[in-house]
Amino acid sequence: MRDNLNTTRRTIIKFGVLLVAVVAFYFLVSTLCTSLYTMMVVDIALIYSLIAYSVSVLLGMGGELSFAGVSFMGGGAFLLANLTTGRLGPTLSPVVSFLLIIPVFIVIAFIIGLILLRLKGTFFTFATIGLVQMTFAIYNNYKPLFGGADGIAGIPTTEIFGTKLMNYNDWFPVLLILAVVVGLIVERIRTTPMGRSLAACRDNETAARVLGVNVYMTKVLAFTIAGVLSAMAGGLYAMLTKFVSADMFTYASSTKYIIMAMLGGVQSTVGAFLGAFIVQVLPQILSAFEGFLQLFWGIAIVLLMVFMPEGLAGIVKSLGRKFRAKNKKKVAAAAAAATEEGVK
Amino acid sequence: MAENRTPILRLDKICKSFGGVVTAKDVTFCVYPGEIKGLIGPNGAGKTTMMNMISGIYTADSGDVYFNEKKITDKPDYARARMGIGRTFQTPRFLQRSSVRDNLMIGADLGNKIGYLSGFFGRKSTNFYQELKEMMDILHFSFNWDDDINSLPFGQRKLLEIVRSLLSHPKVILVDEPAAGLNNKEIEYLMDILRMAAKKMNIGVLVIEHSMDMIMDLCETIAVLNFGELIADGTPAEISNNTAVIEAYLGREDDD
Repeated sequence: MRDNLNTTRRTIIKFGVLLVAVVAFYFLVSTLCTSLYTMMVVDIALIYSLIAYSVSVLLGMGGELSFAGVSFMGGGAFLLANLTTGRLGPTLSPVVSFLLIIPVFIVIAFIIGLILLRLKGTFFTFATIGLVQMTFAIYNNYKPLFGGADGIAGIPTTEIFGTKLMNYNDWFPVLLILAVVVGLIVERIRTTPMGRSLAACRDNETAARVLGVNVYMTKVLAFTIAGVLSAMAGGLYAMLTKFVSADMFTYASSTKYIIMAMLGGVQSTVGAFLGAFIVQVLPQILSAFEGFLQLFWGIAIVLLMVFMPEGLAGIVKSLGRKFRAKNKKKVAAAAAAATEEGVK
Repeated sequence: MAENRTPILRLDKICKSFGGVVTAKDVTFCVYPGEIKGLIGPNGAGKTTMMNMISGIYTADSGDVYFNEKKITDKPDYARARMGIGRTFQTPRFLQRSSVRDNLMIGADLGNKIGYLSGFFGRKSTNFYQELKEMMDILHFSFNWDDDINSLPFGQRKLLEIVRSLLSHPKVILVDEPAAGLNNKEIEYLMDILRMAAKKMNIGVLVIEHSMDMIMDLCETIAVLNFGELIADGTPAEISNNTAVIEAYLGREDDD
């Protein structure tokens, strides 16, 4: 049970590994992705990682399956599109609009969470599906705010600290940093009281209650965090592609984000990140087999749920555990041998 | 002696029925700080239901629960937990797929009264490790922080659930059948830690248990329920000589 010191050391090691991984990832992508098109694929994958995190927060920690991610993503995207093109009156810069998304969607997601989470489990999930259908219908048909079927184009180029992000190459480091920072925040939530309380709600509500957890409000809070993350992803998507239209925010696309998180592992932040990448990048690599991709996802998900419900991250985790157990045995054997020597 | 002190927990004429089944009928008793009180009765007497009403999982049909002489009947379960009503279950309830550390930390979270936000920015729990070490010395076993909670044997998990509850610094702790599934050594350690909780931490302990030896040895006072009715409340000596109790409960035990 010696621990205190070990945790700080372990944190430092973890941060070191993360830094090396991020830098390696940066150079790997920079060298491998030579065309703007491949860069776009990577950029979008980075944006999707935010939504995968949101699934990880709500489903992985809180045990509530929500399809509402796309509703908030669409909301964020359209809010940014409206603000930056001056459709609501004043024209704001993309960065300011993006920052505005956060408080606005804290309020919206909180209120919707308050309503939907009065329902439990499956009923809640179905209600979120209803929400997705409603928001799609509104985004697709209400012209004044959402441009109807044509969508909204003409979102100006984003400028950060005086640098214009002209193309997908310029966006890559910005999005990478954002994805890592948000990932760290999500990981931090997981290891602090909020994450533990959520996990308690997921595994045993009664136990959570007697440990002082307000189950309802904790879940509403998780729903809010997930909603804001999705809205941010939507805003970024609008900034990156400079065009928003309703057909990106359908029920079908919302299943994609859940597949990302499930594939990578809902219990793991890194897993969510990797899941977003696999689902986004693999179709490009395997474009020759495009017709079979849906089949491939389907089979992959079924196999993973049967053999490894914690996704790819779960596979890594269990391998690590096996390795550690083996090591421990070795150490124990060595110690036993040493004491035997001593006795002799 | 106990009557001069303020009870930490007082039940006043609690009634509860599920459909036609009466599980509590005008039940009135107290638990004092630093006292270990047994709650016994034949199967189906309404013991666990009583605990659920104290911790707020069920609400009583009528009657009131007082905590430190403050009425808490209308308070929700999590608010009661935050006031200092700890609880363990017949089968331990832990976070699944989680480490021992996370599972114990959640008890400390409650004790530290850290909000989600200040927890996020990292206010450290004060002497979590020190407290835990003292308890583990009493329980005579150790574990690896990062082990999955389910890799521990059942008995150790049951003891850890008590530890988790004690880490939340409760004023009163409700322990539901702690000895079921424990071996003799573990039962001894269990009694040690409950005594420590009462004497050193001045916690009022209410314990449901079927093992009469343990109840008689451990408890200062015992309340006996039968079909939802309180049929006796007194010291172990009084209880074991009470005819109503012998008829309802101990007598039947003697038969087999």
